[in-house]
Amino acid sequence: MGKKVLIIDDSNTMRKIVTRSLRQAGLDFDTILEAGDGQAALDVLAGETVDIILSDINMPNMDGIEFLRQKQADAKIKDIPVVMITTEAGADILDEAKSLGAAGSIKKPFTPDQIQETLGSLL
Amino acid sequence: MDLSNSISQATQEIFQTMLMMEASPGQALTERSNKFSNSVSAIVGMAGPSKAMLAIHLPEPTALAVTSSFLMMEVEEVDEDVKDAIGELANMVAGSIKTDLNEQGMDFKLSIPSVICGEEYEIDCLADSEGAIMPFAIDGGDFLVEFQLQK
Repeated sequence: MGKKVLIIDDSNTMRKIVTRSLRQAGLDFDTILEAGDGQAALDVLAGETVDIILSDINMPNMDGIEFLRQKQADAKIKDIPVVMITTEAGADILDEAKSLGAAGSIKKPFTPDQIQETLGSLL
Repeated sequence: MDLSNSISQATQEIFQTMLMMEASPGQALTERSNKFSNSVSAIVGMAGPSKAMLAIHLPEPTALAVTSSFLMMEVEEVDEDVKDAIGELANMVAGSIKTDLNEQGMDFKLSIPSVICGEEYEIDCLADSEGAIMPFAIDGGDFLVEFQLQK
């Protein structure tokens, strides 16, 4: 079965850039799912199984940190690796993300090489 | 902290990395205009030990050029895609400056970007603030990036 990725970002522009960067990085997912915030992502994950999640942190409605918290509490999805893609490069917020199970982080702006380097070992 | 330099570095890096465009900084402006016409402005509020604001102001043709480059497709009118792209641009610049401020011991939380556009509008800066306003030139036109930090 082909691999699936879920991209969570409130910016449609950024979701398109991440999608393009995945292709440029040679990471050809068969299915790319999108969600505009953490709650929309949980709704997607209620009906879909994905191999990896790329999530922004600073989002309206449900942010990336609360999404991680809710995901960790759900046995069906807690083991899906999540990589944070964010402008929030502060150690405190990234430490919090890591403590909630985030597998890695990529700072915006990013290059396809940085995506490949971070995701390559997780897939 | 040299705010002008911080703005220049952040903006140039984002344009090079995400847009494959060169953004050439000019001389920092000494006076701020709060009136804009036929432009798109994105503002990110920063809350912490004091208040701060990062804003980007682009004339409409520049905003269209930036969005077209972001999306790798021709964008011909200011629509939701343009507002979203310029908001995300401001978000990335604010995030980079936030990192610089963190290193100075100042921690801020970023707001979701707000975007304003139209024929004529005004944006007031924070009361009793200091900051920097940097002009940039790209192939598609000029634009301003400003950062205001409340004293």
